[in-house]
Amino acid sequence: MEKTILLVEDNPDDEELTLRALRKANIVNEVFVARDGQEALDFMFCTGKHAGREGQAIPGVILLDLKLPKLNGIDVLNRLRSDPRTKLVPVVVLTSSSEDEDMLRSYQSGANSYVRKPVEFPAFAAAVTQLGIYWMLLNESPPKG
Amino acid sequence: MKSLGSLSLRHKLFGVVLLTTLVALIVALGSMVGYDLRSYHRNLLSDMTTQAVLLGRTTVTALAFDDPKVATENLSVLRFRPAVNSAALYNARGALFATYARKDEQRAFPKLPEVDGLRIEDRDLILFRRIVNDGEILGTVYLRADYELFDRVRDYLEISAGVLVAALGVALILALRMQRFVTRPVLAIAEIARDVVSKRDYSRRATKLSSDEVGTLVDSFNDMLAEIDRRTGELEASNAKLAREIEERTRAEHEVLRLNAELEDRVRERTAQLETANRELEAFSYSVSHDLRAPLRSIDGFGQALVDDFPEHLPEEARRYLDRMRTATKHMGQLIEGLLNLARVSRRPLERRPVDLGQIARQVVGDLQQREPDRAVEVSVWDGMLAEGDPQLLHAVLENLVANAWKFTARKDKARVEIGSLKDQGRTTFFVRDNGAGFDMTYADKLFGAFQRLHAASDYSGTGIGLATVQRIVHRHGGRIWAEAEVGKGAVFYFTLVFDGEQAARISQDFKETQG
Repeated sequence: MEKTILLVEDNPDDEELTLRALRKANIVNEVFVARDGQEALDFMFCTGKHAGREGQAIPGVILLDLKLPKLNGIDVLNRLRSDPRTKLVPVVVLTSSSEDEDMLRSYQSGANSYVRKPVEFPAFAAAVTQLGIYWMLLNESPPKG
Repeated sequence: MKSLGSLSLRHKLFGVVLLTTLVALIVALGSMVGYDLRSYHRNLLSDMTTQAVLLGRTTVTALAFDDPKVATENLSVLRFRPAVNSAALYNARGALFATYARKDEQRAFPKLPEVDGLRIEDRDLILFRRIVNDGEILGTVYLRADYELFDRVRDYLEISAGVLVAALGVALILALRMQRFVTRPVLAIAEIARDVVSKRDYSRRATKLSSDEVGTLVDSFNDMLAEIDRRTGELEASNAKLAREIEERTRAEHEVLRLNAELEDRVRERTAQLETANRELEAFSYSVSHDLRAPLRSIDGFGQALVDDFPEHLPEEARRYLDRMRTATKHMGQLIEGLLNLARVSRRPLERRPVDLGQIARQVVGDLQQREPDRAVEVSVWDGMLAEGDPQLLHAVLENLVANAWKFTARKDKARVEIGSLKDQGRTTFFVRDNGAGFDMTYADKLFGAFQRLHAASDYSGTGIGLATVQRIVHRHGGRIWAEAEVGKGAVFYFTLVFDGEQAARISQDFKETQG
């Protein structure tokens, strides 16, 4: 089964730019978008508006913004890591913040990677492209338990 | 027993009068009696001696003719001298020749005459005297007379006692009457003094009854009372003043305490406000970090999308405008980055560790060379630039200063950058020197202000935040930063970190340990 990507992003501009960068990099894997922390959890645990999604494959990577409505990125990360079903899902924190504290808390909460969104689009596109290639093509997902 | 001192003045006065009278009388009477007794004794002796001599004369004949009868008659004349108890004549051989005895006399005559002389015996005067005629001892006269000295003494004592009692009585009566003149004023003063002491009424005054020493005493006493009255008044006034002052001081102290409490409240309030402000500032930084960047990315991203997706629809002019937009976006991104750095430099806790600034400088220069491999800059970094401070922040200092030097030497043919240190009296001053564009020293004070730029943006790019950040880092280390420059010739930036000779040795030691 093809790997999928879950993009957790509340900013529609960033969402579109990310999707565009992936498209431009010819990464054709399916991308699901959650627009706040709660939706991301609903998606992962098949609850709320994502109920009935049971049985479908879990994403190969989650691109997680930190500053989100309702539940923020760190909360989402903590919930994912405390549940056996999602404990091992690769999570890449993709955020505008370059604060040491955000970085530290992300890693402490079990992020696999921390990537800063560059302001200049070419750099941003390059970062997203590399992420897509790495997590979709190079990285091996954890074995299903 | 009452001591003399505790007796009342009246009694003392009596005592003095009586004692004086007594002593005077005793001395007077004693002298008179003594004189009288002495005269009596002498008169009696001389009288009896004369009597004996006369008897001797009158009885010479009777003795010469051995006629006791005549002798007895001669002796009988003594009956006219009642004081004579008895008398006798002894002949030359010492035998009793004739005798006379007063009627009441019963004592026996001495058997033998004694040697010439007088003696007092048994309240009697006894006298023997040789009768001598023409150098021949014819016999001896014996006389025995009453010696009434002791009776006289007894009489005198009785009289003296009577006189003494009478005199003392009179003296007592006189003293009783007279003492009033002396003691009354004194007692009056004493009375008032007692009153003054018990009632503390210093307005009382003693009445002056005489103009003698007691009168003077009254005056002095009244003066003294007046003085005490005045002093007491002053003392009370000063006490009242003191009490008022104490009250005022207490009030002032309360006021100070209240103000202190208020101040503490205010400090707490301000601290809370500051903490709130700090939190808000952090929240602000955080949202700047997150939220201000996102729109920039959108502008840049969609601008790029326009260029990428509609190349045939965009005229050259539109492309150029889009480029300008994207350049501005990039610059805005750098400004945000710079501001965040400045804020971060102020916020993060300062770490103090031994640092080799030379090593950091070489790293910074390496990064710059890598970024701009085309630039040929002659860089020299001195050895042994040890300091103590936050490695990350000091890295930022050198990064900014060296990058500036690098930037402002861009238009020089032979660009030179030197990073070194100067030691003066144990203090180390670090410097970054270049031979670049320099600046006008007139504006040197604006150098370290945020967003202050001394060069046109078109000449040298930059955010104007770098030196402000550098200055803040140096200040946080307790150091100082300043610059010297000349337009077209170059600039030197100097900075110190709190650092003295002793520290230098210690840092050097620490550094060796951490490196080893």
